[in-house]
Amino acid sequence: MKTKITLLTILALFCLLPFVSSAQVNVSGRVTDERNEPLPGVSVKVKGTSSGTVTAVDGQYSLPNVLSTSTIVFSYLGYVSFEARAATTLNVTLTEDFARLDEVVVTGLATNVKRSNLANAVSTVSAKELVGTTNPQTVDAALSGKVPGANITSNSGAPGGGFSVRLRGVTSVNGNTQPLYVVDGVFIDNSAISPGLNAVTAAAAGGNPSNQDNATNRIADLNPDDIENIEILKGASAAAIYGALASSGVVIITTKKGVAGKTKVNFRQDFGQASISRKIGIRTFTEQRVIDTYGASAVPLFNQANGTIYNYEDELYGNKGFLTTSNLSLSGGDEKTKFFVSGLYGDEEGIIKSTGYQKSSVRANIDHRISNAFNFSLTTNYINSETDRGLTNNDNAGVTYGIALSSTPSFINLYPDANGLYPNNPFAASNPLQTRDLATNNEKTNRFIGGLTLNAFLQQSSASVTKLVFRGGADYYNLKSTAIFPRLLQFQSGGNGTDGASIQGNTNNLNLNFSAFAVNTANAFNNTATFNTTLGTTLENFDQETILNVASVLTGSQTNVSQAAALKAFQTQIPRKNRGLFFQEEANFDDKLILTGGLRLDKSSDNADVSEYQLFPKASAAINVSNFGFWNISAISQFKIRAAYGESGNFPPFGSKFTDLVQSNIGGSGGVLITTQQGNDNIRQERQKEFETGLDVSILQGKVAFEGSYYQKSASNLIFANNVPTSSGFSTQIINGGTLRNRGVELSLNVRAFDRPGFQWLSQTTFWTNKSVVTQLDVPAFNLGGFGNTLGTFRIEEGKVATAIYGTDDGEVKVLGNAEPKFQMNFNNDFTVAKNLTFAFQLHWKYKYDNINLTELLTDLGGTSPDYDGDDDNDGVNNATERVNLLGVSARPFVQDATYLRIREVGLFYNLPGSLLKSTFNNAVSAIRVGFSGNNLYTFTKYKSYDPEVSNFGGSGFSTGVEVTPFPQSKRLFFHLSIEL
Amino acid sequence: MKLFKTNIKIASLAFVACLVLQLSGCKIDESINPNNPSLEGALTNATVDDLNNLVVGTEASMRNGLGTYLDDVGAVGREIYRFSGSEPRFTSDLLGAGNAVLDNNTFYTTTPWAARYRTIKNANILISSAGNTGLLTDAQRQAYLGFANTIKAYQLLLVLNLSNENGIRVEVDDPNNIGPVVAKDAALTAIATLLETGFNQLNGAGTVFPFQLSAGFSGFDDPSGFKMFNRALAARVAVYRGQFTEALTFLAGSFLNINGNFNTGVYHVFSGATGDQLNPIFLPLNATGEVRVAQPNFLSDALAAGNASDDRLNKIALRNAPATQSGLTGTHDLAIYQGNTDPITIIRNEELILIYAEAKIRSGASGFADALTAINRIRTAHGLAVYSGLLTEAALTNEMLLQRRYSLFMEGHRWVDMRRYNRLIELPIDRAGDDVWVSFPIPFSENVQ
Repeated sequence: MKTKITLLTILALFCLLPFVSSAQVNVSGRVTDERNEPLPGVSVKVKGTSSGTVTAVDGQYSLPNVLSTSTIVFSYLGYVSFEARAATTLNVTLTEDFARLDEVVVTGLATNVKRSNLANAVSTVSAKELVGTTNPQTVDAALSGKVPGANITSNSGAPGGGFSVRLRGVTSVNGNTQPLYVVDGVFIDNSAISPGLNAVTAAAAGGNPSNQDNATNRIADLNPDDIENIEILKGASAAAIYGALASSGVVIITTKKGVAGKTKVNFRQDFGQASISRKIGIRTFTEQRVIDTYGASAVPLFNQANGTIYNYEDELYGNKGFLTTSNLSLSGGDEKTKFFVSGLYGDEEGIIKSTGYQKSSVRANIDHRISNAFNFSLTTNYINSETDRGLTNNDNAGVTYGIALSSTPSFINLYPDANGLYPNNPFAASNPLQTRDLATNNEKTNRFIGGLTLNAFLQQSSASVTKLVFRGGADYYNLKSTAIFPRLLQFQSGGNGTDGASIQGNTNNLNLNFSAFAVNTANAFNNTATFNTTLGTTLENFDQETILNVASVLTGSQTNVSQAAALKAFQTQIPRKNRGLFFQEEANFDDKLILTGGLRLDKSSDNADVSEYQLFPKASAAINVSNFGFWNISAISQFKIRAAYGESGNFPPFGSKFTDLVQSNIGGSGGVLITTQQGNDNIRQERQKEFETGLDVSILQGKVAFEGSYYQKSASNLIFANNVPTSSGFSTQIINGGTLRNRGVELSLNVRAFDRPGFQWLSQTTFWTNKSVVTQLDVPAFNLGGFGNTLGTFRIEEGKVATAIYGTDDGEVKVLGNAEPKFQMNFNNDFTVAKNLTFAFQLHWKYKYDNINLTELLTDLGGTSPDYDGDDDNDGVNNATERVNLLGVSARPFVQDATYLRIREVGLFYNLPGSLLKSTFNNAVSAIRVGFSGNNLYTFTKYKSYDPEVSNFGGSGFSTGVEVTPFPQSKRLFFHLSIEL
Repeated sequence: MKLFKTNIKIASLAFVACLVLQLSGCKIDESINPNNPSLEGALTNATVDDLNNLVVGTEASMRNGLGTYLDDVGAVGREIYRFSGSEPRFTSDLLGAGNAVLDNNTFYTTTPWAARYRTIKNANILISSAGNTGLLTDAQRQAYLGFANTIKAYQLLLVLNLSNENGIRVEVDDPNNIGPVVAKDAALTAIATLLETGFNQLNGAGTVFPFQLSAGFSGFDDPSGFKMFNRALAARVAVYRGQFTEALTFLAGSFLNINGNFNTGVYHVFSGATGDQLNPIFLPLNATGEVRVAQPNFLSDALAAGNASDDRLNKIALRNAPATQSGLTGTHDLAIYQGNTDPITIIRNEELILIYAEAKIRSGASGFADALTAINRIRTAHGLAVYSGLLTEAALTNEMLLQRRYSLFMEGHRWVDMRRYNRLIELPIDRAGDDVWVSFPIPFSENVQ
C-alpha cells in the first residue's frame, strides 16, 4: 500500500510537470499481486508507443533505453492497470480489478477504451464466465442469462443448439433481429440454413424451404474454449460505428492470444451425460377411455396389448446421451512472436437416439512484432462439425416424432418384429420409432475463419502516435445437409408420401470483409488530454448460395439423388455488398470527461438506390465525477455519469426490390408465375436511434460495483413484409413503414461479499426489463408469426405492445399474452474455499412471459395428454375435452405463462494444491483441476410442456415462443479434469 | 504546433488513402436478381417464348391451393371429413364445431383466395405483355387474350364460390390501386362478361394456338376446342345466375354430348417432375393421420334409396378400420383418385349433361322430356333404373341435385348446389352445435372490415 501511494505521488507530480525532452534510462523491476506473489505475463509498455515487454515467471521485467520522461504502463487481465513514470527501478503491486474498471472495451473499429471511461453499458463476458462453470452447448448457449438486456431463447434441445438472441428487445419485424457477430475482426455468418425437410413435413405450404426445420445457427461452430472474452454492443448508441449492420446489436468475440514466456500447455477433458430435463408424461388408458377417444374399433388393439404400457415418451426422449469434450491448448512465445494454438474434439449424443453432434476445431492465433513500426496478428480457425438432428417441430404430414407421438396411445406396439420390420402406426401417419431409426437428418460443415490485422506505426512520439490498421477477414463454410426418408417408412410407402425422399442441400457461404483505418492518438494540454482520431473505410462482400435437391420416388434403398424417378432442384443465391466510410473522435480529458463523436456512411446493394450513402452519427459523454478534485468521498472510488446517442441501420432483406417471376411448370413445359412478394422500388434501410444514459458506481475499492442504465431506442422506417391484399396477386411487399420503440432498464450489482484468504464469495446480480411498442404504423395492423388467430399469433398494431400475443376470444381478437418477459434476473455466485475449492452457480429468472403451446392442443386432440381425464375445475367435463371445445372459440388455452426460474449452471472444482503437484510431478505439472458441473439442472415453472424456452420457427423475427412438439431440452452433467503444464 | 501540423499532414494523407481505397473498391453496381427472371423483362417486348412461359405458368398455378379449396367445399358441403393429425381446424372451424366460426385469417380462407388471384395476376401480366409487344400477329395476340380472359373468369368463379355473399374483387390489375369488392350478383355478371370477352377474342385467334397447353386440355388446346371449354364454363355460370335459356345457348357451343363419354373435358394434370405438382387430394387408402373419409350419408342415403348398385359408390372405399377424430367417424375413404398423378376435373361432360337437365327442368314443363333423357342417361350409365318419380319441377330438381351429388362427388359442387337452391339446411349436422356455413369471410388482408 505504501509503495502505491509513493507511486501515485510520482504519477501526480508527473502529470503536473511541464513537457521536457530528456535522457534515456533502463527500467527494471518486479510486479506482484496484493499478496506479494509474483505476477508473470504482465504487459509492461511505454505509454503511447508499441515498445514493451512482459514479466517473467518471477514477476521480473526490464525495459532498456526508455525516455526518462515516459510513462510506463503495467497491465494484466483482471487487474487494475497501473501507470508510473520511468525510473531505473520500478516495483509495482497490481490490485485485482473486481469492478472491471480497467477492462479494455473495444468501442471503435480500431480503438478501445477502459471500462471506467466508457459511456455505454457494454456487457463483457469473460472466458471464466463463459466456460468456467460448466461446458456449454454452444457460444450463444453460454451467454444465456449472463447479458443484461439480452433475451436468449433456445429454440430446441437438439444437439448442436439453435438459439435466438435479441438484444434490448425486438428491433425489427423483418426477420433479422439477430445481432452481428464479429470474431477477431471477421464478420462471421450466423445463418440457420434449412435442410429442406419441408418437402416431407409440409410444415409450410408450397414446398418451400421453411424456417420450421429446426436448423442449427452457425455460430455453434465456434469453440467456446477459444474465447478470451465476448463484448456485447446492445444498441445503436454503442454500435453505430458498425453502421447499417448493427441494428440488432453486435457481439464482438475476441479469441485467446499467446502470452510471452514459458509455453503453457492446457489439457481439459470433460465427460458428461445429457438427459431430458422434463417429461410431459403419458395418459393412462382404460377400455372406456379408448372407446371415448378412438371409438369401439380401437378396443381390440387395446386388448391386444394385454395391459402392456409402451411409454413412447421414454423410448423417444429417454436416451442418456454421452458427452465428451477434449480440449488441448498451447500458448506462449517471446517478445516478438506470440502464439495460441488449440484443438478441440467434442462428441455429444442427444436425448433422442441417433441424434448427436460432433465437432473438431483447430485454431492458431499468431501475433508478431516485425519492428517497432510494424506488427501483425493472424487468427485462423478450421472447424469440421456434424450434427444429426432428428425430425421434430411442426409438420402437416404427421411425420415428425412429436406429431406422431401426440396421437399414438401407449397400448399400441410400434417396435420392430423379429425381421426388423416396423408395424404401421394405426393412430398416426408415421411410426416415430421407425422414423427415428431409419430416417436421416444430417448436417456436415467445413468452415474456415481467418483474420489478419496489420498495424503500421507511421509516427511515434510521446505526444502523438499515428498508425494505419489494415484488416481482412474471411469466413468460408460449406454446409452439406442430407435428409433421407427411405421408402420403407410408413409415410413414404403404400402410396403415402413420395415413395422415399432424398433431400440434399449444399450451401457455400463466403463472407469477406476488408477495412483500413488511420488512427492518431495525440496527447495535449500537458498530457492531461488525449485525442484519439480514427478515419477508415470498410468493405463487406457476403455471398451465400444454396442448392437443394429434392429427389423422390427413390429406386429401392438408394439415396443418391440420381437414383430417383423425380428430382426437384432449388437454387438460392444471396449476394450482398456493403461499403462504408467512418470517422471517430474520442477525447479524454484526464479521465474526468470523455467525449466521443463518430460518423459512419454506408451504402448497400440491398437498397433500392445502391449508390446512396446513409449517414449514421453517434456521440457520447462520460463524466467521472470521482476523478475531479472536489470529490472527497474516499469510499466511492468511481462515480460516473454517462450518456450516449447513436444511430444504426438494418438492410432490407435480400431481394426486397425485385418483383420476380418464379418457376411454375406443368406437363413437362416450363412456365413462369408471378411471385408472392411485390418488389419495392423505394426500399431503404431502417434506422435505429438509441439514447442511453447510466450511472456507474464503485464502492470500497471495487468491493461493491453498481451499473445502471436506461435506454430508449426506436427503429424508424421499419422494414417489414407488409401483407398486401392478396387479390392483387401478391401476398407481401417489403416496405418501410413504421416505428418500433424499445425502452428498458438494466441494473447490475457486483459484490465481493467475502474476501479472506480462506474464503471468498463473489456475487453478481443483474436485473433487466424491456418493453417494445409500435409507436407508428403506416399500414393497418397485421399478423405475423404463429398460426393465425384461432391458435394465437403476433400482431403489429399502432400504439400496441409489439410482442403481444393475440388470439380469438369471446368472439373477438384480443391480447392474450406477451412474449417478452416483464423482467429477467440473473444471480451468479462464486465461492472459493481455502484457495483450492471453488463452487459456482447461476440462477436465471424470466418473469411473466407467454408461449403459444400447441403441443398440448395436439396431445389433447390425439387423446394422449397426461391430464386428459382429470377434471381440474370439477365441472364434470374432463380437461382435454374442455380445452378442445375452446378450439375455434378462444386461443386462451394455448397462450400459457412460461415464467421460469432455472438453475442454469452449477460447478464444483478442486485445484490440487501446488505443494502436492510439486512433490508428485517434480514441477512438470503446474496445475490440476477436477470438478463436477451441471447445465440446466432444474427449472421451476408452471409451463405445461417440456421447456419454457422453445421456438418452432427458429430464431427469426417475432415468432419465438411458439411450440409445436419440439426436440425437448436436456440437462447436462459433467465431470471435468484439466491439467496445465 | 509543429506536432499538430504533422498530425494534420498524416491525417490528410490517411484520408486520401482511405478515399482512394473506398472509391476503387466501393462502387456497387445496380444488381439484378440472380435467382429469378424479373417482371419488367416480361412486360416489355416479350417474345412468343416469354408469353408461352406465362401461359404455362398460368395453367400450372391454377392448381396452387386447389387441395385446400376442395377440402373447404367438400367439408362444408358435408361430402367428406378431413382428418389431420396436425391440423384441427378442418374439423372444428370448417364444420362449425361448438362455437367455432370461420376465421378470416386462417389458411382455409386465405390460401385459396390468394392462389386464385395469383393466377389472375399472372393472366393479367400475360394480357399486358401480349398488348405491349410488337412481335405478335393479331391472331396470336387474340389467342393469348382469349386464353387469359377465360382462365381469369374461371378463377374468379372459384373465389366467388367460397366468399359467396361477401363478394369478390374483379378489378385487380393494378396492385397499388385495386378495385372494390363487388356483390355476388355483380361479380357473376362480371365473370360472364369476361367469358364473353374471351370468347370473342378466341374467335379472332385463327386455327392454332401459338402456345402449348398440358395434356389436361387435350382436345381443347386450339382456338375451336378452347372455345368449347369457354362455353362450358359460361353455361355453368349461367345456371348459377338462373339464366337457363342462356345456359342452353352456351351448352350448344360447348362440348356437351349427352351420349358421349362422361369424362370428356378439361383437367388439371400432375406429375413429379421438377417445378410440377402432385395431386393434392390423393391420399392412399387406409391412411392414418392425414385422412379424407366420406361423410357417412353419402353411402347410407344411397343404400336407403335402394341404390346399392350405383357404381358411383365406388368413389369411396371401405377402410380396414374406421377413422375417428374429434367425435367424427368415417368408415370409407375417399377413393376418386388412385394415385398422386391422377388428374383433377375442371369441367367435364357429365356436369354439362346435368347442367342441360337443370336448364331444361327450370325452363318450364316443355323441357321435362329433354331433362328426363339427360337424367336417365346419367342414371342408367351408373347402374340405376330409369327415373320413375313425379314429373314436376320440384321433383325433377330434387332428382337433378341428387345426380349432381353422386356424379360430381368431391369435384367442388355439392355445397354450391345446395346453397343456390337454399337447401343448406338439408345438409347433415354430425355433432350437436355444428354449423353449415353459407360464405367464407373475405381475407383479413383485404382490409374490408
